[in-house]
Amino acid sequence: MHSLGFEAIGTQWTLSTAEPLDAPTQAAVAELVEGYDRTYSRFRSDSTVARMAEGAGSFELPASAAPLLELFDTLHRLTRGAVNPLVGRSLEVLGYDAGYSFRASGAPSPAADWTDTVSWSAGRSVVEVRTTAPVTLDIGAAGKGQLVDLVSAVLESAGHREYVVDAGSDLRHAGGTALRVALEYPYDAARAVGVLSVRNRSLCASAVNRRQWGDGLHHVLDARTGAPVQAVAATWTLAADTRTADGLATALFFAEPRELAAEFEFDYVRMFTDGRADYSPAMAGVLFT
Amino acid sequence: MNRASKSLLCAAAGLSLLSAAGCAAGEEADTAAPAGPTSESPAQSPAQSPAVSDASGAAGSGSAASGKYTDGEYSGTGSYIPPSGTSEDVDVKLTLEGNVVTELEVETSGKNLQSKQYQREFTSNIQKQVVGKNIDELDVDKVAGSSLTSQGFNRALDAIRSVAAS
Repeated sequence: MHSLGFEAIGTQWTLSTAEPLDAPTQAAVAELVEGYDRTYSRFRSDSTVARMAEGAGSFELPASAAPLLELFDTLHRLTRGAVNPLVGRSLEVLGYDAGYSFRASGAPSPAADWTDTVSWSAGRSVVEVRTTAPVTLDIGAAGKGQLVDLVSAVLESAGHREYVVDAGSDLRHAGGTALRVALEYPYDAARAVGVLSVRNRSLCASAVNRRQWGDGLHHVLDARTGAPVQAVAATWTLAADTRTADGLATALFFAEPRELAAEFEFDYVRMFTDGRADYSPAMAGVLFT
Repeated sequence: MNRASKSLLCAAAGLSLLSAAGCAAGEEADTAAPAGPTSESPAQSPAQSPAVSDASGAAGSGSAASGKYTDGEYSGTGSYIPPSGTSEDVDVKLTLEGNVVTELEVETSGKNLQSKQYQREFTSNIQKQVVGKNIDELDVDKVAGSSLTSQGFNRALDAIRSVAAS
């Protein structure tokens, strides 16, 4: 396998392909990733998201925003508001802001109501988003997964059929030989709690151990309270696409698997902060118990 | 919050070497006692007590465990007010030797179910259902866990750590 590594949207990417990526394909990937960052980054002042934080109004997002916002609508409903892309403001209050101050400016603050504050409609080539107040959009719950899918589509259109797109802990596999993936022990990155095989599916993971900047302060917040979650330590999800797997990995911090299974097809492992774990039937045998 | 209750909150961060060390650094660096999000006064100055449990060192956190922390037994009672409004007490004893938590005892008042759920995190690593295995001993292609953090995040944390530890 040939391998190409780069850093983008705050994480380390590795593209592994059976055939080397030619220059036009590399350029297409770079352009795609840069455009996504320019639209959604809350860490740069020239992004669309930065303009949404300045005042209410109408904003244009790329057509790919439609499936992303649709996923957020569904997850918001299934988690009764715990998953909400307006949680960006709550993260800023706790210090995870564009300037990386890591200084809380107040008590945990609930996110603005998603359905009251934001409406959107998909056109042929753009998605129009209307807001009734300044908002800090944070698509972290599913955005990286979607970008993995979009990069995969670039590889597919260039004729690649065997590849792994790995963006930190969100990855998509395509090809005949399964990928063996260790599930990182949430409290000790040198250890694993299990090993699973991924083939022609997407695997996403979410855990609270790394992005910590203070006592109990990490990046997975319950949008209803604006406070970091406490009971779940890590989740892993397998789904047909990475956007869905990513969103469900976050949603499992707040909702029971059977509630999400009513509308999504996926496998999962979920580990709690007391060391317990639960998992879908297909994942039996994956964990070291 | 007293300093022992800060030990408690760091224990909640996972009992790894670095989180415990970061906790001790916080104790030495300030007595103003920042509090965790489950406590009465949420996180006034997290920068002064970075509990970074990045045991892999991938985030450049090795400097946090430079041996500045005093061995000994730390204990005390922490309390916080959960959403139910009833104050909960948590008694903690932990022993720190060479930057490692060697012993931990946790007792919680557990006055309501919701709080019991939150308090379970304090007993993390005590009721293990899943056993970790050394990744080096496993034949795997990838590791999936928490996402790696951006350079900006890591640089900012490093800067904060160096201030907190000095």
